[in-house]
Amino acid sequence: MKIAILVKQVPATDKVKINKETGTMIRENLESELNPLDMYAVEEAVRLKEKYEKTKVIAISMGPPFAKDVLKDAISMGADEGYLVSDRKFGGADTWATAYTLKKAIEKLGGFDIIFTGERATDGETGQVGPSLATQLDLPILTYVSKIRELSNESIVVERTIEGGKEVVSSELPVVLSVVKEINEPRIPNFSGKMKAKKAEIPTLTAKDLDVDPEKIGLFGSPTRVVNVYYPKMTRKGVIIKSKDPEAAVDELIKFLKEKDII
Amino acid sequence: MTREYQQIDEGLIKELRKISGEKAVIYEDKEQLSAYAKDEAGGEYYAHMPDAVVKPASAEEILSIVKLANKYGIPITPRGAGSGLSGAAVPIYGGIVLSLERMNNIIEIDKTNMVAVVEPGVVTNDLCKRVAEEGLYYAGYPMSVETSFIGGNVATNAGGSKVIKYGNTGHHVLGIETVLGYGDIVEFGGKRRKDSSGYNFINIMVGSEGTLGIFTKIYLNLIPLPGKTVDLLIPFRSLDEAIANVAITIKESSVLPTAVEFIDKISVELGSRYNNTTLPYQEEATAYLIVQFEGRTKKELEEIYEKAGKVSLENGAIDVFIADNRTFSEKIWRIRRNWLEGLKAFDPYVPTGDVVVPTAKIPDIMEFIQKTSKKYSVTIPVAGHAADGNLHPAPMKPQKMPPKEWMKVSEEILKEIALAAARLGGAVSGEHGIGFIKKGLLPVTKKKEFELMKIIKEDFDPNYIMNPGKLF
Repeated sequence: MKIAILVKQVPATDKVKINKETGTMIRENLESELNPLDMYAVEEAVRLKEKYEKTKVIAISMGPPFAKDVLKDAISMGADEGYLVSDRKFGGADTWATAYTLKKAIEKLGGFDIIFTGERATDGETGQVGPSLATQLDLPILTYVSKIRELSNESIVVERTIEGGKEVVSSELPVVLSVVKEINEPRIPNFSGKMKAKKAEIPTLTAKDLDVDPEKIGLFGSPTRVVNVYYPKMTRKGVIIKSKDPEAAVDELIKFLKEKDII
Repeated sequence: MTREYQQIDEGLIKELRKISGEKAVIYEDKEQLSAYAKDEAGGEYYAHMPDAVVKPASAEEILSIVKLANKYGIPITPRGAGSGLSGAAVPIYGGIVLSLERMNNIIEIDKTNMVAVVEPGVVTNDLCKRVAEEGLYYAGYPMSVETSFIGGNVATNAGGSKVIKYGNTGHHVLGIETVLGYGDIVEFGGKRRKDSSGYNFINIMVGSEGTLGIFTKIYLNLIPLPGKTVDLLIPFRSLDEAIANVAITIKESSVLPTAVEFIDKISVELGSRYNNTTLPYQEEATAYLIVQFEGRTKKELEEIYEKAGKVSLENGAIDVFIADNRTFSEKIWRIRRNWLEGLKAFDPYVPTGDVVVPTAKIPDIMEFIQKTSKKYSVTIPVAGHAADGNLHPAPMKPQKMPPKEWMKVSEEILKEIALAAARLGGAVSGEHGIGFIKKGLLPVTKKKEFELMKIIKEDFDPNYIMNPGKLF
């Protein structure tokens, strides 16, 4: 079985700051790391590799040259190989153009039985690339996968986390899966994994290598534009109930909450 | 060493309210007072109600309160965040609890001198974050960093996990302004790193647990912010192998680690259940080391962990796990940091011991702890700071034993372990302090020093109003 994991390098911060003028993320001076939600995808792929013989796991990332580091992270956790999709021409791609580029990379690498993605990247927060990729590859997509129940060479049965419960879905292979945190607990890489990653060569796939349609890549090929990014306005109007008698204060609070249809 | 103390009356409360304001004095409100009756040592076990709580806002107010207390013979128990583990903040003679919670200003970050000047009620982590904004680093790091106050850290000479590289809290203190027990504001040290003019009073105040005076201003040493970190999680089949590895790893990697933490099997078992996680080799491993290194660049860190990892594998480690991102680091540290909370989830009565031995004697003290565990038929999880020889045995109450009986038994267990540590060339407390829980052990293990401590106490606090019943 041949498995791909799509991983992304994201800023190593919980506080993404937006440049108000340009509406883009401020990335200067920020360390990068493997998107934490992608670790679950890597772990699940590696577990399948450990369970099923002759399974090969390939990590793929689209990004600048230093995104090689996150592919090495995936290798340190047990992926066999890593490929970096990188070219200045890919810069500024929206989720559609990114998915198109990744589709070409996947075709170039000969296709896969399962393509894993994380739920979303912690920087862009869209969660669109996986589904868009599946659409462009004309493959089924199973999102929010929290458990793989069964797997054969032809089909897969998974549990999906949905509002208020679980949904059990089966699909034929090949398939794209986006996984959620509940699926596993990613392993901390060990010494030999780190050494393997250190030695690993990460080939780069450029626009030329992928034979892409120049009108479908990068900023130019992106059909969507981020027009404005802004912080939601939070306004609070505090009301203090003043009363010396606690019971009277509670009565007043209940009356207030009833008026607002809260209780 | 106490005196006859007087009861607080309405008249005194009036005077206290005049000094610190109406709202800053709690009196007769049992619910509010009870929040100041205990610290993290044994909770309700050792709780004792104060008669009044005062929350002053300045050194001058504190001076007035101390003068009043001297005049009327009222004991004062200074209190930081209440995160202490030796009962030092418990007002065992009632009287006034003097809470420093309102004195929480970071007065100055002096970038030129690389000194922070703070009030005692600043939360340690708040200071760390604030100085980090200036590219600076405060290297004190008690495990309670998110809750404890700087004042409490200094009063107990708090340690933590970065002592091997940076030293304990005392190492970072350049100066202390304090209201001494006899009623005067005195400043020791200041914004200077050297001072060979006479006795070093800072070192006397550090670890004095509020028995000599109340800190009102603290000068702390800052250093440049270290770069990146990498954490190694190293499981071992035997405790001896784990401990032997500490010195070898430090020597062979030619780098002083920031932290070398130790956790035993039972701690990992309970901790992973509490944190809903698992560590690798939980079945096989008897002990784990967590080793943290700092480096300027990713490449430098790689070189360090390669050396350290290789050495550990050659010296009996089952494997070496390397966390160089936030997610994995947090996974490793969560179990160690939440160690006590994890144990408390299974036994709310668990007391924490704190002993220190020369590092090479860790296997001996661990053997003693295991023997004690068998002798009393009690499970004793242990975690600690391996490179400092500082261990925390935490005996867990057998299910059927009533809490009152357990209090006595657990005290006996911890006493035996503490005395064994002292016999091995260590001390009865490494970083939690003496408080009242261990006070009987000082005259036994530090006989002559104890006599000298008494002389200092008498001079600084002739009326014994400062935190009576602690240390002495």
